[in-house]
Amino acid sequence: MSRYLSLLALWVLGATAPLQAGVGEAAYERGDFVGALQTWRAQAEADGVTAELLSAIGNAEWKLGHKGRAMICWERALLLSPRNPVALAGIKHALGAGGTDRPTQTWSENYAAFLGADLWLILGAIGFWGTLLAVLVPKLRRQTMGDWTQRILITSATLFALSIPGLYGAYTLASRAVVRRTDVPVKLTPTVLGEALNGTAEGDVLRTGRKLNGHTYVTSADGKGGWVKSTELEPIWGGALPVNLDQPRAP
Amino acid sequence: MRAAFAILACFIAASLVRAENHITWEITPPVCGPGQPFRLQVRIESDDILGGANQVGREIKPPRGMVLRYSGQVFRANATEATLNFSGVAPEEEGNYVLPAFNARFPSQVVLVPAITLIVSNKTGYRKEGRARAELVLPERTFYVGEKIAGGVVMRGSEQETVTGSFGLECEAEGFTFQTEGSSFTQPLQDGLGLMKPFDLTPIRAGQSEFSLSGIMLVNTGDRISSLNISGRDRPFNFRRKLTVEHVPETGRPADWGGSIGKLEITPPDLSNRFPEVGEPIKLKLTLVGEGNLERIIAPEIPGTDTWDIALASELRQRRSEGRRTFIYTLVPRLPGDLKTPAVRFPTFNPDSKKFETVEFVSVAVKVSGNAPAKVELVTIDPSAKVGTPAAKMITGLLTPTVAAGVKGVAKIEPLAASQPFWLSNTGALVALLLATAVISVVGYFAAHPEFLIRRRARANLRRARAAAQDAYRRQDYAAYARAMTQGLRTGAAPLLKAEPLALTQSDILRALPTASPTLIEAIFLAADGEKYGAKDPRQTIAEDAQLQAMLNTLEAQL
Repeated sequence: MSRYLSLLALWVLGATAPLQAGVGEAAYERGDFVGALQTWRAQAEADGVTAELLSAIGNAEWKLGHKGRAMICWERALLLSPRNPVALAGIKHALGAGGTDRPTQTWSENYAAFLGADLWLILGAIGFWGTLLAVLVPKLRRQTMGDWTQRILITSATLFALSIPGLYGAYTLASRAVVRRTDVPVKLTPTVLGEALNGTAEGDVLRTGRKLNGHTYVTSADGKGGWVKSTELEPIWGGALPVNLDQPRAP
Repeated sequence: MRAAFAILACFIAASLVRAENHITWEITPPVCGPGQPFRLQVRIESDDILGGANQVGREIKPPRGMVLRYSGQVFRANATEATLNFSGVAPEEEGNYVLPAFNARFPSQVVLVPAITLIVSNKTGYRKEGRARAELVLPERTFYVGEKIAGGVVMRGSEQETVTGSFGLECEAEGFTFQTEGSSFTQPLQDGLGLMKPFDLTPIRAGQSEFSLSGIMLVNTGDRISSLNISGRDRPFNFRRKLTVEHVPETGRPADWGGSIGKLEITPPDLSNRFPEVGEPIKLKLTLVGEGNLERIIAPEIPGTDTWDIALASELRQRRSEGRRTFIYTLVPRLPGDLKTPAVRFPTFNPDSKKFETVEFVSVAVKVSGNAPAKVELVTIDPSAKVGTPAAKMITGLLTPTVAAGVKGVAKIEPLAASQPFWLSNTGALVALLLATAVISVVGYFAAHPEFLIRRRARANLRRARAAAQDAYRRQDYAAYARAMTQGLRTGAAPLLKAEPLALTQSDILRALPTASPTLIEAIFLAADGEKYGAKDPRQTIAEDAQLQAMLNTLEAQL
């Protein structure tokens, strides 16, 4: 009986003990990027991803030469924490020394990046409901607006108006994807044999538009548009760790 | 007198000084095959004007077995140089043949051309006879993904068949990229009878695959068709070879390896200024040369130190065929004193030795003057850039990440805007609010206008009274008929007169129905309440049912 109890205790300890802190950082420091990556990936699969974890994985992927994966990780880290220093430095480094391209952000996107998409939506919802209730409630109660109601109305309406460019910027920021393959042609038509207009490289960030015939309309950093196979892109929103595009080994 | 002698002595001395002649020669090809035609060019540079040479052919005594003919002089009037051209045929035996010194007689002077040696060797590949043929030049070894393999097609001709060109070079090889410098780029062979078409091959995946290369060479067969036309023909060639490609091994791979495969060499680092001041940017130019995939090398990061701020200023892009790659860094000294630029290492994989090697740009000593400021900002402008050009992108390097253990994260990064419950709850709340608003508005409206409900209620009661009257009429219950009809008239007239129904009398009904018969209304009221007042027989009123129904209809229409 005691043997079973001790086994149970060991199982409970093993299941609940957090991954040893600092193992990934130590591996990263001594140049074992594969080891660091494995540690952090295991942590992400166990506990979910955070901005710090994603930016760390991005650094390790970059060191291993996986530009596309690194950019995905850094961009997603910025979605969780718009001012994460490691992710910001990584993207700056990739744009400067790594040769990757990223569309210049518009003023509304810079505005949206100040708080993050979710916070803008919450603020917008609060402003909308505040404005609506401040207008409707006195009417329903057949009363004139009091001082406090007017203050709430002005505050809510201002909040709602300020959140509109943030929501628009967050929407355009969400319409981006990272090129995951090397030397991807940007085609004139969304067809397999479409004429290649120019090319993009792994790690480039593109603005995405409509989808057709397994292709996505993209606009590159220099403003050139064209069609790219959807399987060669990975959207920034809607995932955690980068998708594994490597072909599975034959059994 | 003494001065006159001095002037005379100077004049004599100047006239006695002989002009210095400089003589060079060139044999094409430098090493000849047995019996191979060659060309000899002798260049004479003098301080005097030379003019045309006389009887050069008679002065030459070529060695046994060699044929040499003077073919003319490149002549320019009043020039101090002369070029004498000879054409000849090398002897049939191998060895060194010495052409004895000979005189070139010019109008102003006689120039002695020293002895010239011609080397004849069988190793030149020269063929006097034989068909033109193509050979594939490609290393026989295992290749590695990402390396640049320099190959070529050597098209050798002979005296009878000269290769003059090639076209239609096509490569079929899965897992390789094939590049040439251009369809017209070919290099002539040394013997002048053939061409070399170089190409680059880059494996892009591991495994074994078949390499196939085909093309067509233009061969001049020498048959003369007419005085202006010499016959030639196209001759195709095709090569097939099985190539094995592997990935660069992971064992022993340095952490800072940037994908370089080949044999790299370094040139001495070039520094723009060895005596800068504190904060003054200087440029460090590092050039790699050698064979390999130079264009694929990622510029190495040089982290800033306590003494230097470092940024990758720009990169000189050379043509692929130049075999060199240059990185230029901008260094900003932070502190004064005798400093050294950081050493930069380039690890590379040597495909021949199958080992990683490292070349290193050594440090350069720099003497920095000035005072140490509190803080030196990283330079953001390339000092060598032209005015108006955008500033180069800066390297800041990757920051060292820190990850807290045990912090719960999210399984999937999705925006709140993609959340169905968020939109459902907001939409539900909005619909509920609008419904509540609508209901409250309707209720409030009816509360403000009660006549609508009063008339509606009166209309319903009037219809019920009419139905009761009709029922009594069928049963011939005269009293009930009169009561129901009276109730109907009172109910219908009450909202019009804003009074309670039971309080209305015959005269009140007449106010609501001015055109009605007072006699009939009085009769129906008496029949209804006759028991109290000894009324007439109510059968009479039943006979007037049509008129009474018309009164009810008139009242209902007014409600």
